Amino acid sequence: MVMKIRLPQKSILTKKFIKEKGMKIILFLSAISAIIIIFSIIIFLFRDAYPIFQRIGLGPFLTGMRWNPVGQPPLYGAFPLIIATLLVTLGAMVIAIPLSIGSAIFISEIATPRVKIIIKPAVELLAGIPSVVFGFFGLIVLTTWIRISFNVPTGETWLAGSILLGIMAIPTITSVAEDAISSVPREYKEGSLAVGASRWQTISKIIVPSAMSGITAAIILGIGRAIGETMAVMMVCGNPAYGLIPQPITNVFAPIKTLTATLGIEMGEVATGSNHYYALFGLALILLIITLIVNILATVILGRLKEKQRKSKKKKPVISYEFGRKIKQTFYLLIGTIVIAILFITVGLLPTIGIITLIVVIYYLLRKISVKVQQRLAFSAITATIIIVIIFLGIILAYIVTNGVGALSWDFITTGPTNLGRSGGIFPAIIGTLYLVAGAIAIALPLGVGAAVYLHEYTKEGIITKIIRTGADLLNGTPSIVFGLFGFAFFVLYLKLGFSLLAGQITLAFMILPTIIRTTEEALKCVPQSLREGSYALGASKWQTIQKVVLPPAAPGILTGAILGIGRAAGETAPILFTAVVFSDFISSSVLQPVNALPYHLFTLATSIPGSQQNQAGTALVLLLLVIGIYFIAILLRNQFRKKMKW
Amino acid sequence: MTIYNTIEYVDKVYISFILAITLVIQINQQKEKQKIGMLLISLLVIFILGATLFSGCVQQQGQQGQSIVLIGRDSTSGTREFFWTFVMGKANFSASLLEKNSNGAVQQTIAQTPSAIGYVGLGYVDSTVKALTINNITANVQNVLAGAYPISRDLYMFTKGNSTGAAKEFILFMQSIEGQAIVTQEGFVPLQNTVHYNVSGKTLSGTLTVSGSTTVLPITDKVATAFKALNPGLMITVTGGGSGAGISAVSQGTVDIGMSSRDLQSSESNLGLVKHVIAKDGIVIIVNPSNNYVNNLSLAQLKAIYKGEITNWKDLSK
Repeated sequence: MVMKIRLPQKSILTKKFIKEKGMKIILFLSAISAIIIIFSIIIFLFRDAYPIFQRIGLGPFLTGMRWNPVGQPPLYGAFPLIIATLLVTLGAMVIAIPLSIGSAIFISEIATPRVKIIIKPAVELLAGIPSVVFGFFGLIVLTTWIRISFNVPTGETWLAGSILLGIMAIPTITSVAEDAISSVPREYKEGSLAVGASRWQTISKIIVPSAMSGITAAIILGIGRAIGETMAVMMVCGNPAYGLIPQPITNVFAPIKTLTATLGIEMGEVATGSNHYYALFGLALILLIITLIVNILATVILGRLKEKQRKSKKKKPVISYEFGRKIKQTFYLLIGTIVIAILFITVGLLPTIGIITLIVVIYYLLRKISVKVQQRLAFSAITATIIIVIIFLGIILAYIVTNGVGALSWDFITTGPTNLGRSGGIFPAIIGTLYLVAGAIAIALPLGVGAAVYLHEYTKEGIITKIIRTGADLLNGTPSIVFGLFGFAFFVLYLKLGFSLLAGQITLAFMILPTIIRTTEEALKCVPQSLREGSYALGASKWQTIQKVVLPPAAPGILTGAILGIGRAAGETAPILFTAVVFSDFISSSVLQPVNALPYHLFTLATSIPGSQQNQAGTALVLLLLVIGIYFIAILLRNQFRKKMKW
Repeated sequence: MTIYNTIEYVDKVYISFILAITLVIQINQQKEKQKIGMLLISLLVIFILGATLFSGCVQQQGQQGQSIVLIGRDSTSGTREFFWTFVMGKANFSASLLEKNSNGAVQQTIAQTPSAIGYVGLGYVDSTVKALTINNITANVQNVLAGAYPISRDLYMFTKGNSTGAAKEFILFMQSIEGQAIVTQEGFVPLQNTVHYNVSGKTLSGTLTVSGSTTVLPITDKVATAFKALNPGLMITVTGGGSGAGISAVSQGTVDIGMSSRDLQSSESNLGLVKHVIAKDGIVIIVNPSNNYVNNLSLAQLKAIYKGEITNWKDLSK
């Protein structure tokens, strides 16, 4: 009797056990996919970059002062390109940091809820504008403005690149910095206000310093985004031959050639297997390493922040307070001296003295002004930053809309291009973009959700989760052009898939995977632990709990992540440029065929089809509407989700 | 730095003025108003000084004439390789050459930049740019065909070994009178001594893939549409990606035909590819329509400009 009862129970258990184990393994595999991808990218870039290091040596490659791969003799000096990348990024940060931190403070501390609900999505919409659209705006409006305003021969300069990259980095920095500021404990703020500090004093002396490491991480992530940007920089920076460093180095009106622009321009035409080809992969490797370092730095800082929040106990500082103060003073003194030295060299003695006196005067004036007025001033300045950001957004949107609206009609959306896209519509491109994003999401969503479920439900925080998360963060920071090169080397050439829909879909899937992992994890975090405990108490297994109890309430959050991923995939040009795209009235019927896509259609019209201005603007508008529409749905969903999340 | 320039700058910072005024209006107390006023004035002075610093860089460009902005193609472009060999005699370009990765980008830049000069394919000349004559010969199809216009180059298609089947027919169609009509239509220079395409009894079927140069892409795409009309059962896909990508794809066998705007390079010579010339491209020197300095250049002048020996338009308009 006993045996008879036990046997079926045991078999059920085993079946269940196998299922549970199986799921765990599957989830683990999807969790490590991010790491596998990042390693295969590094390996494949290195594989194709190695010959150039071998032939001309790593040292000469890194320190060579001229990039002239087709000259006689060919010169492969990456140094000016690296410097240019850093300079453009530096300029972008000078513009983006004050604007984004001001915006972040405004959104989290100053704005009323009603204003916040409009402003926050507006800043996020800026992230939704495809970089190729930014490029066109920059090429036509920004460079002309710079040329006329500053009376320089050409507007395609370091300044143009920095302004454009600065605008593009604003949403990244703002959203991370805003999270950091919002997560400063309420008690800090209340305590400060209770002892009689003004709102501005509270913000400047309590909130911002407490959120400092989060803000630092935000800035570093912004730097990562700026370094990796390709299409926009390629279009507005001028790209001088040999990639010369500006003379003098502070000359923001000099054209400049970055690593990404060099890749974007030269990759298509280069002879596969030539030294030049290997050198380009060398550049991609350098670019990847720079962004990896930047992103690891951000991860480390954010990680330390989280640890600090977890442990309230104060550790004894490694350096004593006094010593730390001294270091700080020396540091400021050093920076001051350098700035003064640069000023002195560039503008001469008299203006330098003038500027220093003025700064001192302003400093003392600011100290004398009453607290109330100080606050007014500061709040006005902060409001000004957000207004500037909104103006940027407005100008770009207005430009694209006013130019593109003339081309827009029902036929434009539903018919194929005729006469090489000069007339007719863009139906195949729309369908192609839909195919690409559908495939990308079909690959990335299961992988990303699996990875997030494994990270959040199956493992305790430890070395494995840390490695996996770092992998996902690094993948997130990988420049899109690097994905493009990897896709070309791996799918198109190594796996011999050729230019195909499949290659494009997988490349895009890799790119959006980290977004999905991150948003899914956030969604899982919002599901209360008590629900899981209740499910276990009723005898459900782990996988049953996840499947029936945890995932359904997290679904809207996961959906938001998926939509953000779709938005990013729909607007990207660089990853599909060398892997998937075809230009024509062509609708693919198999995944092994190439595909047309909106960003590429726009890119080709603008670069290779003379006399297609009207349809260029129309395509840009449709692409913009599509991507912004997708983002808008995501934002609406999120707001809906947040309202409902009252357990 | 003249005072006039400084004033011009102040004029351009009207946005800061508007902001400043709103700031002052916000403040009620008279005392504070004065302090804020002083603060703003000092900020303004800093701004002007900054502007002076900026314009210091601009000043070096010289007041008379306009310095030439050199626009060229990227180092891997077939157009540049040709220009470099034919016009420059393989001398190095000036370091101030700005590189664009397409004809369209060159045309766009020149249409927007008054002092720019660049070279593009014949198809890209329209009212937004001014074409220069070279040695007093206008760049057009007739002059290129007659051999009078000095700067033109070939466009190619490559097949792995001798072309067969659909690839062979397609290239034959492209080189025929019918195909060359489309070449002319797209602003390229047709081949000479062409014959009518011989439509054989049975139509082709299966697939044909073409990939490569973005310069050749438009013609191929249009010819493909016409060829498909003759052979409804044939599936043709034409992809871009660039000459290098096309050549490597055809040598690997992932596509049937590779398009290229340049000849094979040394690293590609042993891939077993067969070259087919399918059209010519006249290279036109263009400047901004507002450029009143020149209408004609000699090849020597062109070389001097691109070598960086002539850097100001006024040196050309004597």
